[in-house]
Amino acid sequence: MSNPLIDMEKPDVIFCIGTNMTECHPVAATGLKKAIAHGSRMIVADPRKIPLARLAQLYLPIRVGSDVALLLGMAHVIAREGLVDRQFMDSRTSGGDEFIEHVKPFTPEWAAEITGVPAKDIETAAIWYGSAEQGAIYYTLGITEHICGVDNVQSLCNLALMTGNIGREGTGVNPMRGQNNIQGAGDCGAVPSHFPGFQSCAEPENARKFSEAYGTEIDAEKGITKVTALNQCGDQIRALLIDGENTVVSDPEREHCEHALKSLDHLVVIDIFLTETGELADVVLPATSWGETDGVCANTERRVQRLRAAVPPAGQAKPDWWIVSQIAQRIGTPGFEYESAKDIFNELCGLSPIYAGLDWDRIDQGEYQWPVPDKDHPGTPILHVREFKNGRGLFKILGYRDPAEVIDDDFPVWLTTGRRLQSYHTRTQTGRSQGIDYLLSEELLEVHPHDVASWGLVDGGQCHLSSRRGKIMAKIKATDQSPRGTVFCSFSFNDTPVNILTGSGYDPVTETAELKVCAVRVEPA
Amino acid sequence: MALLSNSDIIEHWKSAAAPLLPVLHAFHDRDGHLSEDALRAVSDGLGIPIAELFGSVTFYHHFAREAGGRDAPRVCTGNICALRGAHELLDALRSEGATPMPCAGRCDQPIPVLRGDKVFVGLTADSLAHGPTPLPPRYPGDGEECVFSAIREPGRATLPGYRNSGGYEGLEKLIKSGSPGETIELVNESKLAGRGGAGFPTGRKWQAVADAEGESKFIVCNADEGEPGCFKDRAIMDHDPHAVLEGMIIAGYACGAGQGFIYLRYEYPETFAGLERAIADADAAGLLGENILGSGFSFRIDVRRGAGAYICGEEGSLLNSLEGKHPFPRNRPPFPVTHGYNQQPTAVNNVETLASVPHIARRGAAWYCALGIGDQAGTKLISLSGDIERPGNYEVPLGLPLQTLLNDWAGGAPHGREIQAVTMAGLSGGFLAGADLNVTLDEPSIRSCGSFLGAGGVIVFDDSRDMVKAARDAMEFFAHESCGKCFPCRIGTQRLTERLAGEAGPASLADWKTEVEDIGSTMRATSACGLGVAAPMITDSLMKYFPDKVEKHVQT
Amino acid sequence: MIVDATQGRALRMTLDGEEVRFSDGETIYEVATRQHTPIPTLCYDPRLEPFGGCRMCVVEVEGARTPVASCTTPATAGMVVRTKNVALEKHRKTLLELVVSENREVDVDPLRGYASQEVATLVDEYGARTGRFQGQRSGTSNETDDNPFIKRDYDLCISCYRCVRVCAEQEGDHAIAVMNRGFQTQITTEFNGRLKDSACTFCGQCVQTCPTGALGDIKAMRAEPLPGELKKTRTICPYCGVGCSVDLLTKGERLVGVQPAMDGPANKGALCIKGQFAFDFVHHEERLKTPLVRGDDGELHEASWDEALDRAADGFRRAREEHGRYSIYGVASGRAPHEAAYTMQKFIRAGFGTNYIDNCSRA
Repeated sequence: MSNPLIDMEKPDVIFCIGTNMTECHPVAATGLKKAIAHGSRMIVADPRKIPLARLAQLYLPIRVGSDVALLLGMAHVIAREGLVDRQFMDSRTSGGDEFIEHVKPFTPEWAAEITGVPAKDIETAAIWYGSAEQGAIYYTLGITEHICGVDNVQSLCNLALMTGNIGREGTGVNPMRGQNNIQGAGDCGAVPSHFPGFQSCAEPENARKFSEAYGTEIDAEKGITKVTALNQCGDQIRALLIDGENTVVSDPEREHCEHALKSLDHLVVIDIFLTETGELADVVLPATSWGETDGVCANTERRVQRLRAAVPPAGQAKPDWWIVSQIAQRIGTPGFEYESAKDIFNELCGLSPIYAGLDWDRIDQGEYQWPVPDKDHPGTPILHVREFKNGRGLFKILGYRDPAEVIDDDFPVWLTTGRRLQSYHTRTQTGRSQGIDYLLSEELLEVHPHDVASWGLVDGGQCHLSSRRGKIMAKIKATDQSPRGTVFCSFSFNDTPVNILTGSGYDPVTETAELKVCAVRVEPA
Repeated sequence: MALLSNSDIIEHWKSAAAPLLPVLHAFHDRDGHLSEDALRAVSDGLGIPIAELFGSVTFYHHFAREAGGRDAPRVCTGNICALRGAHELLDALRSEGATPMPCAGRCDQPIPVLRGDKVFVGLTADSLAHGPTPLPPRYPGDGEECVFSAIREPGRATLPGYRNSGGYEGLEKLIKSGSPGETIELVNESKLAGRGGAGFPTGRKWQAVADAEGESKFIVCNADEGEPGCFKDRAIMDHDPHAVLEGMIIAGYACGAGQGFIYLRYEYPETFAGLERAIADADAAGLLGENILGSGFSFRIDVRRGAGAYICGEEGSLLNSLEGKHPFPRNRPPFPVTHGYNQQPTAVNNVETLASVPHIARRGAAWYCALGIGDQAGTKLISLSGDIERPGNYEVPLGLPLQTLLNDWAGGAPHGREIQAVTMAGLSGGFLAGADLNVTLDEPSIRSCGSFLGAGGVIVFDDSRDMVKAARDAMEFFAHESCGKCFPCRIGTQRLTERLAGEAGPASLADWKTEVEDIGSTMRATSACGLGVAAPMITDSLMKYFPDKVEKHVQT
Repeated sequence: MIVDATQGRALRMTLDGEEVRFSDGETIYEVATRQHTPIPTLCYDPRLEPFGGCRMCVVEVEGARTPVASCTTPATAGMVVRTKNVALEKHRKTLLELVVSENREVDVDPLRGYASQEVATLVDEYGARTGRFQGQRSGTSNETDDNPFIKRDYDLCISCYRCVRVCAEQEGDHAIAVMNRGFQTQITTEFNGRLKDSACTFCGQCVQTCPTGALGDIKAMRAEPLPGELKKTRTICPYCGVGCSVDLLTKGERLVGVQPAMDGPANKGALCIKGQFAFDFVHHEERLKTPLVRGDDGELHEASWDEALDRAADGFRRAREEHGRYSIYGVASGRAPHEAAYTMQKFIRAGFGTNYIDNCSRA
């Protein structure tokens, strides 16, 4: 997030797109509810009439995968209505004039055709956001899990840049991180493109720095993504070490994924339970769980906080870092003689400029948000206050593209996927916590009541759900939370393995799968 | 006529001011109760969370949640009616689904029974009859009336009749040749003070509203006459409704308000109809609405019916109720004059106060001032009921000896009995008895006896009455009406009731008295609104005047 | 020099005989708290709008006829306030005696909730267990709600409405409300049904703000019979990326519950159903407790750490030898701590000199 969570109570106009925040980030959503209670206006764009949409003063029911069209239409209106923050654009950004020229053809009427949202509502949204004193954008995977995920994000940045809604309290472009330490995984360099602290792998200087620190020559070019690696399993990729991910259930194209893992020479899985993925491994190593592990994590607002152990490990379970270090030592890699999580975190701080001002003891109370470049620095709750990381904020010229897969006669229904409040991901944890079943014991395919009737389905009955990649059974729930012609299902339940169906395409830059759009057929079972 | 659909009702009221109460009444009237379906429709339509709406509906005594509940008889079992056999009447009507209701404000008549939109009165099931509100008895004093001075004129309740007897002359005078500032000055000079009980100077209140910053300002007429033993406001509204309207319009003009509300208690359905009629007539005559009398001043009045909650006579609760919120009292400060309806500057005035204003406007501040006796300015309506020969509403000059009212004006206790005690301020002032019956009717005199005049309800108990029972009935009323917001009142009224009823409490007289005194003292000192502060006056005065009866009660 | 008039105006009042400064908008209670002058309360939660219900916080203000509720009364310049004297303390004791008289019991296990000891603590401080003011009890426990998370033991309710207010003001769910009035007041959901059938999301905030334990954390309460002292350990919730601070409740070696950290920088006392109630996977019987190694029979078998680690290392060593360093790939977790992700990337980079590392964020 460019801005801290506390800022969520402050904007006068809130624009949420592709985020089911009350279910996926419920505590963050309380900030928005407070803002609304105090008079803020909220716009929600989402294909589904999610609870957040019901709280909004303006709801834009966009067709799945049509975000860029909506955002171009809004940019058009903001430019046309003279709501552009000229001073901000001139002093802080570049490419703005080209962008404003670029959006001229993208009228709200044009966007209405693609998105299915009335042009008038697109105009209203643009005028609200464009006139806001403090306008803030919040998004989640509904923006990124598309073949055009990068375009979606950049379209949001364009809106913020043209209205100057960034770098100030109560504004910003704010992605909500879905996992407790997904931010931290990136911070720590567990990505193919960056060393710890988002230092680019393609910079020879960075490669030199880490080669020196680690005592090995490291490539000065980025590696391949997990998606590519899975595609190369059994071919280029022969051995895989997976820490704490149930790839088989969470990734798209389940059959492809299972096949990939099975074709490896060597699969090592570190986890707290024997997952569907662990079942395929050569070696499964038991990790200590949350509550048993000392360590550090970073939240969605870049706040670096301590995790503390409260109970001893289950059985012989060991911390992930100990396990990985042991394997490293056993293949003869130096530099893994750690005695505690503290040793490791302090090593990270020494190598990461954004953590340079931190160490194990300083983060005890969790008051720092990175970057914290030195020990005297108070941390950075708001990014881009005076300047952008690379100088000026760059407008991106982009256009609308259809999703990788669109509905047709064979697969006439849109399927979109996501999470639910009571369960988390593949339920390795929530599924094993008492009481959750009382509220959510099975997966249900959400279908608009009229569609239930016209497709010959029964509320509570079973259906066959098929895509170009496979077919599953699902139980129907009639609800107007789904619009007509679009159905929804979470990926939490292994017995409704929706990831057999998904995986129509990937964003060319991030290789994130288009989990939010898939063409399916729904038939009575 | 076809029944209105849910959405017809919602759409009709949705953009109206203070829509929740009229919407709920519309469903209540249509269905005969408030169904789950109706409440869900209201919740969706007005954007009120369903749990909060449900909770608030249960707060009001008269919203029926079972089919047929609205029209089932409600029998007043208030303090006076209980003395006259209300419980027997209730039993006689049980087969029709009758339920009790607290004092319904007709203490000068036989027992009232509310059936839907009509109130019947009678002492037995066979003798129940529907009829008009009694006019105040002929003025027995040698001074002059103000509020009642024209109320007995023929046709006074109609617009022509009102105008024939000087009505709207005061408004016309002020609006055409005065100014808001002069209007406030006039009211200040008259020394008119709040007649609902609080006694705050009316001119100062209006000045505060006029001075306060706000997008819009409001006049609220407090017609939630819920105090047991008080029925004067209904007499004014039924027989002189335009006086209330004129008073509100003048208040609106003085304060710079554009909207007025009359918050009327549920138990006065005929009054509701009469007010609606009067407003329509005034509207048609250009006395309300846009550009009143060509002055450029615009003002509208809406009547909002309560649904049975004594606490809604407390101005914070009243405002919350109007706004569709849970009717708890509000914390003060801030006060309504700066943060009233919708947090905007609001003058909340009692019916009697507002009805005095047209007379003051017409006849002048000095005239009004001089109506009182001695240092006291003006008059006060007293609702006199109970064991008295001629019950009814009397307009007394402030400063009149209580004994003069009781004996000379109203004929004293009937059947040759003696007056044992009277209540003050309805029930809120507790009892006066013995030598303290020699007070004069004005706040300084009555407060010197530890009581207060308040809204002016006086209930008389003759020497045959069980005063412990009278105290218990009174405390039961307060417990029934305690809103539940603050601890001392919520628990205190319950514990005091139990002790007066002999249901719980120490067996030793000393311990009993200490408990009752401690509860009372903490209620007086710490309660959040007037209810909890006033309720222990019942026990205090009981112990003061009737220690022997208390002793006997505890020991048996 | 230009002087800012508002800055120059020092607002001062007298608190228990001492002159103190305050800022515009502060209540007497806030000023007193800032000055470390404790005032007892029962209906107060610093995160909520002041309510003024319990009246425990009444103080004496010079010139006022009766004591005023310090939580709702704004401080004003020149105000002279006394927070404690014989009369005030007597009223407070009486209020507490009244509260004791309306409840089934006062002493509840701290496992019920974060604030559950507030009433008992004050009652003891004021010596209010006198048995005075006996009479009917208020509130009726809900025995029909079968939800496995929130005990609705309204026999212990004192009608402070912190639950109702936290649900509305903090959580924004408006799932619960006040029903009836006076002594008959009862906390309710829509149509007095189960929480499951209401707007409740089981975030648990009502439980944690309840000062009597009338609302109890059923999952934590299971541990009431367990021996041992209740300990709290501060950590961060393991679910989404908001990073809510929580206190883990432990008895001996057992994790028995979770409470939100009221001072958590990201959550200020808020949690959701997952963070509040989905913690017991930690002790689930299916936890992996020993390393597993695939045997010649194709099945996974328990193994010693040495055996498993050697086997794991061998596979990577062999892959490097047979297929080169680009044949090895690492997937780090977005769920494990920094140290896991850091060692994972270092394992790949230091071990094989490649950037063949990713995490699960693309899923």
